[in-house]
Amino acid sequence: MDVGLLGQFVVNGMMLGMMYALVAVGFTLFFGVLDVIKFSHGDVLMVGTFAGFTTYIGMTAIGIDNALLQLVGVLVISIGSMAVMGAIIARYLVLPLKSAPPLNTLLVTLMLGTVLREAIRLFYPDGSNPKHFPALLPTDSWAVGSFTLRADSAILLLAGLLVIIGVNVLINRTRLGLAIRAVAQDEETAKCMGINFKMIVLLTFALGSGVAAFAGVMNGLYYNEINFGMGLLLGVIGFSAAIVGGLGNIYGAILGGFLFAGLQTLGAVALPFSSAYKDVFAFAVVIAIIAWRPTGLIAEKTSERV
Amino acid sequence: MDQQKETVLAFRGLTRRFGGVVALNEFDMELDNGQIVGLIGPNGSGKTTSFNVLTGIYSANGGTIEFLGQDITNWPAQKVYEAGVARTFQRSRLCLELSIFDNVMIGNHKRLNQGILFNIFQRKALKAQIEENYSEAHKLLKIFDPALAEKIFDPVGSLRMIDRRRIEICRALISHPRLLLLDEPSAGMTHEETRELMDDILEVREMIDGLSIILVEHEMGMIERVTDKCIVLNFGQKICEGAYRDVASDKLVQEAYLGGE
Amino acid sequence: MTQSLKDKLVILSLAVLATAFMITFLAIEEQAEIFALLVLAAVLVFASAKFGLIETISGCLSRNERLLNGAVVAATLIVAFWFYEDHFPLLMIATVLLYTVASCGLNMQFGYTGVVNFAGAAFFGIGCYTAAVLGETSVPMLMVIIVGGLVAALVGSILIIPVLRTRGHYAAVVTIAFGLLFRTFLEVNDALGGPQGLGVSGMNIFGWDFNSGITLTDDIEVSFYMNYVILALIMVMLTFVLMRRIERSWIGLNFDAVRLDETAAACYGIDIKHWKILSFTLGNFLAGTAGALYAMMLGFIAPSNFAFSDSLILVSIVLLGGMGSLWGTILAAGLVVLLPEKLQAIQEYRFLIYAVVMILILLFRPQGVLPRGLRAYIPGWRG
Repeated sequence: MDVGLLGQFVVNGMMLGMMYALVAVGFTLFFGVLDVIKFSHGDVLMVGTFAGFTTYIGMTAIGIDNALLQLVGVLVISIGSMAVMGAIIARYLVLPLKSAPPLNTLLVTLMLGTVLREAIRLFYPDGSNPKHFPALLPTDSWAVGSFTLRADSAILLLAGLLVIIGVNVLINRTRLGLAIRAVAQDEETAKCMGINFKMIVLLTFALGSGVAAFAGVMNGLYYNEINFGMGLLLGVIGFSAAIVGGLGNIYGAILGGFLFAGLQTLGAVALPFSSAYKDVFAFAVVIAIIAWRPTGLIAEKTSERV
Repeated sequence: MDQQKETVLAFRGLTRRFGGVVALNEFDMELDNGQIVGLIGPNGSGKTTSFNVLTGIYSANGGTIEFLGQDITNWPAQKVYEAGVARTFQRSRLCLELSIFDNVMIGNHKRLNQGILFNIFQRKALKAQIEENYSEAHKLLKIFDPALAEKIFDPVGSLRMIDRRRIEICRALISHPRLLLLDEPSAGMTHEETRELMDDILEVREMIDGLSIILVEHEMGMIERVTDKCIVLNFGQKICEGAYRDVASDKLVQEAYLGGE
Repeated sequence: MTQSLKDKLVILSLAVLATAFMITFLAIEEQAEIFALLVLAAVLVFASAKFGLIETISGCLSRNERLLNGAVVAATLIVAFWFYEDHFPLLMIATVLLYTVASCGLNMQFGYTGVVNFAGAAFFGIGCYTAAVLGETSVPMLMVIIVGGLVAALVGSILIIPVLRTRGHYAAVVTIAFGLLFRTFLEVNDALGGPQGLGVSGMNIFGWDFNSGITLTDDIEVSFYMNYVILALIMVMLTFVLMRRIERSWIGLNFDAVRLDETAAACYGIDIKHWKILSFTLGNFLAGTAGALYAMMLGFIAPSNFAFSDSLILVSIVLLGGMGSLWGTILAAGLVVLLPEKLQAIQEYRFLIYAVVMILILLFRPQGVLPRGLRAYIPGWRG
């Protein structure tokens, strides 16, 4: 295969992997603190992207047309509003079901995802059609042989990497992260040590949802198109990635995200019959991995008390 | 007991590790037919772990378990039950939304016809089996508490703790096991209730031929009253074995409980 | 008047009321009238709950199961024959019946045994596609229904290992991934018609063609959908008997034990894998049979019928009715299928409304509209 095309596949695969990893990190964070799955995560991402898109339209309408300012505005509004929404979801849907079977939380948030998706489709102006997301990043490109690297791709990859590192540092090196890990380890003990459990849960949900909104904007900037259904697949893939990596483990989520993107890319490049089967291939491998390692590649440590 | 002495259960060098923690270390014990053995020791000393390894919930890292002359080491939970071991759990594990009858019948699994075709098509035979088991369950419950037997079709979730303990024990006894494992039956009950419960168990033991019991308990009064011998565990190791009186006066045991050293 | 006579009268009058209600509901077109009728029904239900009537009635019903079952079948037939020449109401009735069968399958997995399945629409779809493919062959069409179920069960067996080895969230993602995989597969696979889908031949039993109307006399022509209503009703009855018998046997008890506490169940000899496989396979079989007849009735199927949201509808039916509750499933299938078809105002918003209702149910009434009661092995028997 030609090097340029291969390079293109690699960049595309890394971009997808970065987005999946960002989504999966959210799933894993929520699972860590509350042992629940918030299935609406992908749709929160979608709403965040629409919030960013609306910000862009609003800023253009009032005459701010500097791309950098617009980008900052889009990111701030998108991430900020989704952080608030994540906390609200945690407060009013997830925490009230804390003592119910964990599956109920999955179901409630699954239904919430549908509500968000349908709400955008029905109530956002012309919401059922795809929207053109603006290219706010410089589009210069460098050619290396037959391979061209575009500046916006490079910036997005770098930014994604920084966010992942940032989340990691936040979890592993800060007092907030310490509190989150404490709650994830043992809720009761954490409470005894004076940690405000509820506040930590809300902050974790805000953090995860903000990261998802970032991934959504990244998705919009990369593909220049957004639609109301984009969150469902991203959410399912992020969920699968978190599961394959091992729930509750940030490295597992990152591994799972890149693994899924790698499988899709491999499916697109290498499948003899048709690249259209890439998602079928990726999901089939995911199911096989779960059958092989039922608690994920980097297994969570569970021991049920009997 | 005048029955001939027969070893029902024997642990030889039973070992179980969790990561670096040795929960059971080279544990040896023997239990004779009809005996009641008390298993005592501080929290985390490996009492419940030995139950879990015995009943196949955890696998053993070393050693063997012999039950009625068979090597049952690392058998799955289902086979251990079939062989005649029934247990209760430290935190009561009943199905709260099912009726008392249902819960007791779960314990009777091996004596019920589980054939798919039988259950779906032979309704008459199934009905006869249900009625037969109903009267047996009713009789057993009545020994513990006649009032409970009358509530046999009520959901377990509506009952008090002591009743739930009773049902859990009935669930274990209904299949006529050879070995009953009781994991802290007194937890969450008053002294009086505990005494009552133990009397009932002793009464049932008379009915089931050659039933042996291992009792994990913190309530020393109960241990003193009902056990034939005691085994003391500390950090997964057996530190003492003998009659309660001797064990209680043992220096090592007192140190283990008082955390001395 | 004796108790039993009183009971019978209550059931008969309820059946008459329900039949009249259904006929009116299906017959009227005016949106305001439909709305008024629904409000009236809601007020009646709430009022009878308020005055304790519901308890009296449910006592009555549980004492006379046979009469109740018979009354429901008779009521369904009366409603169907009332509309003997109208395609649309009959299509609706048959759809409700087939959704009931599929939801019962899901209920066996989810409600009885606690095996999650978010790919219900996929197994329904496997039945549909089996019917489409076999419709071209000489396999008797009545057999095709069975084969549709068998193929669904067989394909489901691919998932058995991952589903058995995992619990909770992990099992959920396996089925969600499978559902997406299935739909993507259909879309990219040209042999099965791709995104455009396939035509399906109609049902045909020994030369009796289901897709042509029945001419009784010169003036009376019965809609061909009546054939499907009757066959679907028979399927519902068989499914109902199967579900009931399983629930009221040691199998049902094993299913419950597996759902409620796997560890305790294992310690009492219950082979978790065995019962999970049985329930998963039987459930998929039921969904597949329903799908096969549904495809024959519609005559056309496409991948877009088997999206994730369709799987969610099946899950919603089970949750709304109440986990493991048979009458609940029937009621919920009726509500979920009929309401958006009749109330055009909500047609566009139906997914949104379902989702909101489900959230409210999960938050405030997780046991569903008609919660499953305790197991009564033998009706009316108290030892």
